[in-house]
Amino acid sequence: MALLGPSGSGKSSLMALLAGLERPTGGSIHVAGLDFAALDEDRLAIARRGRIGIVLQAFHLLPTMTALENVAVPLELAGEPNAFARAEAELNAVGLAHRLRHYPAQLSGGEQQRVAIARAIAPRPALLFADEPTGNLDTATGAEIMDLLFARHADAGATLFVITHDPRLAERCARVIELADGRILSDRRRA
Amino acid sequence: MNQAWRLALRDLRAGGRGLWLLALCLFLGTAALAGIGSLSASITSALDAQSHISLGGDLEMRVSQRLATVEESAAFAQVGRVSETVRMRAMAQPATGGAPALVTLKAVDAAWPLTGQFALQSGGRQPRGLQAAIAPALADRLGIRVGDAIRVGSARLTVTGLVANEPDRLGEGFSLGPLVLTDMAGLDATGLVQPGSLYESRYRLLLPPTANAQALGDRLVRRFPSAGWTMRTPEGATDTLRRTITQLGQFLLLVGLAALAIAGVGVGSGVSAYLARKTRTIATLKVLGARSGTIAAMFLIQLGLVAGGGIGAGLLLGAALPAIVTAAVGNALPVPPRLDLYPLPLLVAAGLSLLVALLFALPALARARSVPAATLLRDALAPALRPSAAVLAGMAALVLALVALAVLTATDRTIALGFVGATGALILGLWLIGLALRLTLARLPKPRRPLFRLALANLHRPGAATDRLIVALGLGFSLFVALAVIDTSLSSEIKGAAPAKAPRFFAIDLQPEDAARFRNAVTAAAPGARIETTPSLRGAIVALKGVRVADMKNLPDGAWILKGDRNVTWSAAVPPRNIVVAGRWWPPGYRGPPLVSLEDKAAQTLGLKVGDTITVSVLGVEVPARIAALRKVDWGAMGLNFAVIFSPGYIEEAPHGLLASVYAAPDRDGAIARAVADALPSVSMIRTGDIIGQIGSLLGQIALAIRAAATVTVAAGIVVLIGAVTASGQSRRYDIAILKLLGGSRRQVLTGQAIEYALLSALLVGVALTVGGVGGWYVVTQVLALPWAPDMRVVAATLAASIAMTLGVGMLGSLPVLSARPAETLRGD
Repeated sequence: MALLGPSGSGKSSLMALLAGLERPTGGSIHVAGLDFAALDEDRLAIARRGRIGIVLQAFHLLPTMTALENVAVPLELAGEPNAFARAEAELNAVGLAHRLRHYPAQLSGGEQQRVAIARAIAPRPALLFADEPTGNLDTATGAEIMDLLFARHADAGATLFVITHDPRLAERCARVIELADGRILSDRRRA
Repeated sequence: MNQAWRLALRDLRAGGRGLWLLALCLFLGTAALAGIGSLSASITSALDAQSHISLGGDLEMRVSQRLATVEESAAFAQVGRVSETVRMRAMAQPATGGAPALVTLKAVDAAWPLTGQFALQSGGRQPRGLQAAIAPALADRLGIRVGDAIRVGSARLTVTGLVANEPDRLGEGFSLGPLVLTDMAGLDATGLVQPGSLYESRYRLLLPPTANAQALGDRLVRRFPSAGWTMRTPEGATDTLRRTITQLGQFLLLVGLAALAIAGVGVGSGVSAYLARKTRTIATLKVLGARSGTIAAMFLIQLGLVAGGGIGAGLLLGAALPAIVTAAVGNALPVPPRLDLYPLPLLVAAGLSLLVALLFALPALARARSVPAATLLRDALAPALRPSAAVLAGMAALVLALVALAVLTATDRTIALGFVGATGALILGLWLIGLALRLTLARLPKPRRPLFRLALANLHRPGAATDRLIVALGLGFSLFVALAVIDTSLSSEIKGAAPAKAPRFFAIDLQPEDAARFRNAVTAAAPGARIETTPSLRGAIVALKGVRVADMKNLPDGAWILKGDRNVTWSAAVPPRNIVVAGRWWPPGYRGPPLVSLEDKAAQTLGLKVGDTITVSVLGVEVPARIAALRKVDWGAMGLNFAVIFSPGYIEEAPHGLLASVYAAPDRDGAIARAVADALPSVSMIRTGDIIGQIGSLLGQIALAIRAAATVTVAAGIVVLIGAVTASGQSRRYDIAILKLLGGSRRQVLTGQAIEYALLSALLVGVALTVGGVGGWYVVTQVLALPWAPDMRVVAATLAASIAMTLGVGMLGSLPVLSARPAETLRGD
């Protein structure tokens, strides 16, 4: 699914609410059977574990940890006993088997985003949010990253939400919801 | 917890950059406290270890101006082995002529020393008969060697050796001149022991192992109730020194606590800055499913590890301080420290440091805990959260624990409580000043000039570090001012020449019949010299208002006048430098029952007023006297002054000597000393300058200790200042980049910052002068009991240097950002 719209249309705010990163000031949000509006910051964090993966435009890797450790962290937080083995497998899957022990500062932008994708997918979430995942990358790398994201979410069986202002990227999704000024303009499903 | 440990260690592996301030502050604070505590414990422990040697036996019986009677000697011999010594001031001069010097003459019997070892430098022999061993300092001063002869009184004593160790020196108390040691035959030969001359006889007793020294001593004193005996056990031998060291240690501990309080502020700003830089990490971890508790535990572990490192290193240095001081200035200490590990001061230092670290880190940790995950999406300023009730309760509990530990482990709990309270009030007051400044600046009309507008805005904008900076700079500046005030007051006291109106010499052991010869000798050497003489004898107050002092359970604080015997005199008229403030002086020609006049402060301490009776024991005879008048005495003028003055008459019958003070031109000192030594060898001349020099060198040692402790505190202060300024500098990297982006030149950016720091400093100068001045005044006048004489030029220079350092660090911290291209900073952000 794609959330499409220009800057300021509210797509990132909608994603923040859906992913439990912010709490609504009114109304209710039901995700995977939970009312996110009723959960506090800690319960939301626990609710995200194993349910929601997030890839952001600015990568947001932990600078003091290696690629492997970055991917292992959400697994460890969820109490997964084989966190490192699974993290390694996930990094292999995104083509970074040779970069396991590198720190974020030693990786290119594209590599950093691959680590971020591996990190988001490793706990096998039901929902995978990608907020402008190619915004900080050149065109060619951006295309590679999108291919990878689509391939990995399919393998992992997660529902992918792509938040973008790029219509061509949105067209790769099965459903496209277009936003402007905080309102839904259209909701199209591709056959 | 395992999760938090793993995350903490992994995150810390990258270096924990930014936690240096925490580690350094705690290292300095802990090292100061642990070091001072260990040093004072090692010295008092050394004093305790050698208290028998210092006393010279298990029990000491002491009496003034006479030897023990046959009956008394027999009573002493009954309870244990006895050694007799006599100690007095005298003049020594090379037998071949030359300048005389004031010495401490000590005569010992064959049994001396009962404890410890008397040692001479190599080649020396124990003196017998007309021989003496002398202190090396005297040999240097008189220019004589072993084998030469000196003249003391009417004796010619051959020097048989230079003293390397006088075992009972510490127990002898204050002495003005270097030692001349001879035996009883040598003392007889000097002819100095005469009725009325000032000397002290001590009988040291070695008791059987099962004996109770205190009980035996009390019994002996009671057996000869009017004989003026004073007894001491080993515990009391080094009482005065022990008290001085404990008091100095206590004061230095307060300086150490000041260092720790300042370190606490450094911990607060260091932890704040560190966690502020970790905001994105915290938000990312939360996005990945970490709970607030895990985040708090992770950073608590990190801070705990770094704090533990800093505190551990501080404890190591503190524990090693006695050894370091011994190696560096061992000779300058009154007694070499007993090198050992003293766990109590180390535990107290570690406990205090840990509590301070937790207290100051807690608000920042609570802020970090509540960083929302959405921070990753919106780069808004983190809202300045008010601490929750739980955090406030935690801080209150930590403050209570801190105060309890600091106060309960202090020797003087009132002073410690006052100090802790004052420091807390100061931190709170500074924080309120910062708050008031922010609120006021936000409401002031905006200046038209952009640089001023920017500088003011920086001080009150949301997220500004103004209150933290004001607390850190305010504490630092106040401390520097207080230390400058204390140090310069001490220095002026050390350098302080004798007051202009003070006499040049005091003469003791002058016999009444020699008064005219003395006057002639002095005026021949210094025509126009003024001489004041007054009769003097030793007396001990043995009863107050009919109650025996010996039977009093608790002597009032400051009742020095009751301890042992002291000089008393009589006078027909009110002496110079004295003013009667209560009662009436006896009429001229009064010959009735003895009346007495007391110094007003001493009378106040003892709870005595005009009309009360006191009993003074003079050479074993008890003289009851009614208090006729109380006097205020100008002790500062350093003339011949007495706390107890009798009416003439009855008391004149007692054998007595004369005390004289000589007022003359300073360049006649040498001539006067030589003339008196030639005419009256038994008269001791004490130069006022020497007394002041002696006190000065004692103060010099105290000043050195204070300066050493203050150095650590100043170092902590400087680290905190640098830390606070660099921490606030990091948050302005972004502003600088934006300003440059908008066309601001480096000079403009720097000027804006300089204005900001200058405004802060100007505000804090007033605070520092007030707070530091009052604190310094308290220490100088109330703790050290010295005149208030700070050098305001040094204080001003100290403040100027502090401001220059603050400005310099702030400016230097901005230089790398100023030289970088704005794009680098903005992209990196």
